[in-house]
Amino acid sequence: MTRNDDIAGPWATADPNTVVVMTGEFDVAEHPQVLVTPALGSCVGVSMWDAFRRRGGIAHVMLPSPADSRVVGRPDRFASVALPKLAAAVAGDSSVRRLVAKISGGSTMFAVDGTMRGIGDRNVEEVKRQLALLRIPLLAEDTGGTHARTMELYLDTGLVVVRSYRYGIKEL
Amino acid sequence: MDPQRLSALQLDALSEVGNIGAGHAATALSQLLGTAVGVTVPRVRLLSVTEVSGVFGGPENLVGAVYSRLLGDLSGGLLFIAPRDDLLALADALRSRPVGTAKSLGADEEGLVLHAASVLQSSYISAIARLTELSLLPSPADFAFDMMGAIMQAVTAAIGMKADTAILIMTRFETEEIAVDGALFYLPDPDSLEVLLGRLGIV
Repeated sequence: MTRNDDIAGPWATADPNTVVVMTGEFDVAEHPQVLVTPALGSCVGVSMWDAFRRRGGIAHVMLPSPADSRVVGRPDRFASVALPKLAAAVAGDSSVRRLVAKISGGSTMFAVDGTMRGIGDRNVEEVKRQLALLRIPLLAEDTGGTHARTMELYLDTGLVVVRSYRYGIKEL
Repeated sequence: MDPQRLSALQLDALSEVGNIGAGHAATALSQLLGTAVGVTVPRVRLLSVTEVSGVFGGPENLVGAVYSRLLGDLSGGLLFIAPRDDLLALADALRSRPVGTAKSLGADEEGLVLHAASVLQSSYISAIARLTELSLLPSPADFAFDMMGAIMQAVTAAIGMKADTAILIMTRFETEEIAVDGALFYLPDPDSLEVLLGRLGIV
């Protein structure tokens, strides 16, 4: 089933400078590394960047916040858990105040029923709420719609590149 | 019910549920196409909700997908997935024209694929409904052609709110003459596992 490799991701090339962030995870890197998170559907990719240190991070969040606190395993798939952790990890021993954020994703892949329709929108809403709580300015976003996206963060300029099958390449 | 705690017997039972559903679905598809349709033995896979984007090649692998929610006594999802060329072949076969006629997935092809996949999904769940004597309905299906990872995440998002593990009961369909190779996933919600296994008498 892997006949169509029109958009081969950077993980296929095993470039040592590429840091891939998979679903429900977050990671931090410094220039000249590039952060990539593939296939954002209803999930939201949140990038945070420190211009001074040319350092940044991406979180690939799947859901807004845990429905109940009994959820076991890795809770980093929730925006309310991952974003404060990402901000602390990117800032390190310096201030969170220097960080700026850009987000993408949060689409509706299938308009099937009420519970599905909400998840993309609710993810974007919760991400924005968390960024406001952390006082991290949101500089740009490419969210909503019905298509999947791949997000890249270049740490020298803070450029975010969003790739999609339907709309090609977009720079934030 | 935590999917990680399922016994071997319970996993076998889920595989058998998939088997019965797939058998009926294959019959329906072969009636629709007028050709023999082969089915593989269903595989039950337990995957972390954050790992599902990796199934079927890379997360950016482009696939056509038809998704329908399961309503009624059991909640869950049914997802049909096939590569682009196979969907074009399927559309040609349904229009009784030579394979290779359709060049792109336009509105007409999308409609045909959506229709065929809905028939497949409906017969799959009606077989499960008869087996378990439960009332099950498929929601209207929707079509998407996009990255595999995003599709899998969208369909497991509802499961991710409640559990760490998603259960995928996967069957592959193959037709010899027109090379349509697709997969059907049944994703029972963790809440409804108990109901399903209860009806089979092996909670």
